[in-house]
Amino acid sequence: MAVVSADETMMDNLRPRGRRLSAILSSPALLYLPPLLFLGVFFLVPLGLIAWMSVSEPSFGFGNYVRFFSSARALTILFETVLTAGIVTGCALIIAYPVAFVAATRSSAFGNLLLLVVALSFWTNFLVRTYAWMVILSSDGPMQAALAAFGWDPPPRLIYTTFASTLAMTQMLTPLMVFMLYAVMRRIEPAYMQAAGSLGARPFRAFLTVFLPLSAPGIINGVTLVFITCMGFYVTPVLIGSPRDMMISGLIAEQLEQFLDFGGAAASSMILLVFTLVLFSIYNAFFDIEKIWRR
Amino acid sequence: MGIDRTGKAGVSRRQFIRTASALAGASLAMPYVGRASAQENVLYVNTWGGTWEESARKNLFDPFTAKTGIEIRTVSPVSFAKLAAQVRTGVYEFDVTTLGVVELARANNAGLIDNAEGKVVEDNLFPGALVANGIASHSFGNAIVYRDDVYKDGGPQNWAEFWDADKFPGERSLQRYAGRVLGMALMADGVAPENLFPYDLDRAFASLDKIKDRVAVWWTQGPQSTQIIRDGEVPAIGMWPDYAQTAIDDGAPATIVWNQAVVDTAFWVVAKDTPRAEAAWQYVQFAVEPERVARFAIESGSGPQNPKSFDFLTEEEAKGAVTSPAYRDQVVFFDVEKIMPQIDELQRRFDEWIGI
Repeated sequence: MAVVSADETMMDNLRPRGRRLSAILSSPALLYLPPLLFLGVFFLVPLGLIAWMSVSEPSFGFGNYVRFFSSARALTILFETVLTAGIVTGCALIIAYPVAFVAATRSSAFGNLLLLVVALSFWTNFLVRTYAWMVILSSDGPMQAALAAFGWDPPPRLIYTTFASTLAMTQMLTPLMVFMLYAVMRRIEPAYMQAAGSLGARPFRAFLTVFLPLSAPGIINGVTLVFITCMGFYVTPVLIGSPRDMMISGLIAEQLEQFLDFGGAAASSMILLVFTLVLFSIYNAFFDIEKIWRR
Repeated sequence: MGIDRTGKAGVSRRQFIRTASALAGASLAMPYVGRASAQENVLYVNTWGGTWEESARKNLFDPFTAKTGIEIRTVSPVSFAKLAAQVRTGVYEFDVTTLGVVELARANNAGLIDNAEGKVVEDNLFPGALVANGIASHSFGNAIVYRDDVYKDGGPQNWAEFWDADKFPGERSLQRYAGRVLGMALMADGVAPENLFPYDLDRAFASLDKIKDRVAVWWTQGPQSTQIIRDGEVPAIGMWPDYAQTAIDDGAPATIVWNQAVVDTAFWVVAKDTPRAEAAWQYVQFAVEPERVARFAIESGSGPQNPKSFDFLTEEEAKGAVTSPAYRDQVVFFDVEKIMPQIDELQRRFDEWIGI
């Protein structure tokens, strides 16, 4: 009896479900499936495993997190990482903005050439660029010679300083910022600036009230990407920075390579991740894209 | 050579991601990967690249393949964390690797390497070859190297002089490697080499305090130290002699001081539970036979551990080997047994000390 009634309920349910299935199959939302699957398998699952590792090793609990937050050294490294990333992002923005502005608003041939130069530097491997900086900044390198030639003799040490690593990281990330800014600036109608001019605004005023706000999404994209990329930097500070320039990824590598502390390394990674996310939700709350657009 | 030893630092982030994805894939792929690889007649060896690999290929890998028919494929970079990750996930990228004394001790304590008992025929090995389930292969010094153009009348001849800012002014560079640097610091403070182990950590760190401000860079990779001495970034550095020799061959005016070199030894180990353990142990014993390891070590710039190896080397060649009897009274070998209980503490204290 019970079996039959269960069968009947199944039969009843079959029709509408079948229809729903065909609706799903023909829905364009299905196109999301491959990327979602990809993200799930190659991003979310590993991330979940790291999160799990951070609370399950060596013993279950939040021991790894407690250890991180009670270590003055780890906290200093985290602070230094954020500070370095902030400085580098700021410098990159200041340098990249005029470049992107010129590339986006001047003749397309010149703009393309400018972008090509930027891209060439961007395509070069990070490690190669770090070694290039090593040559430029080294004690018998051109930079030292130039300083000496201009009367700063003996010149100060450049390599193995915080200045060197900040300079190199800025150079490495500026192209990224240029691309982000350029992508947005290209879509800003030149007519808007002309309109501002025809209404009596001087070029600088027109730039401040029209162009700058319109380019804000590019700034936000660029700052976000550059900041996040910089937070994960590791090789450059180790190779040409001062002995005190350790980034949090260096700490993670140390936990793994020297102590085989998988739990601790996983916890540090999660802290880095959460910290970055929190920072940007705050950032987004203050500099809401919509608000800037409407102003 | 650059890429591979650099790999230790350079690939770390990628390495970490790979470790994570290996974990992800492990549960799915493990049974297949394990079985498929076991059927192949292949052995995977973790390589340092560069001259190391060239020499190993010529003197160890190819002869082994010729004798046994087992093909050897190399995997880089050398990573201690990967060894651990392999055992955790059961996915083996390499079966055999080399470890220094400190890593060997740590790996053995953590159960990352295969137990040698019953796998090796001790009669075939030289006395003292088997330590903590590793087979001693070759040794490399951590020596003083100084620039002739800065110290024109000769540079520091021992660690005390290396530390002495009045006699030999100028900045320094040392490897960011606690186990080696602490020994140097103790000798700089006047500890006799024979009383070095176990380390008196308080005394070592007090001695390190005296030089901390003068250390311009703590190098982490071999090629980096070559670059530092070649470009004359510091007038004196503690580094591996074979890497210093590269700079000297390039024309850098530098001198290697063998006196008080802290000598670390590389041990062949087999990753625990690898499906290719049998071939791995076969290879490891093959690799330390006297003539073979003699050629391998000399051509890769280190010194063979097997004492019988020196029967196969010319006098000139033996001069380049830190293990040569000629240097016995000058250099200091790691005392594995005495340093083992200290490794975790000294590493942790060193990292705290060095700050960020």
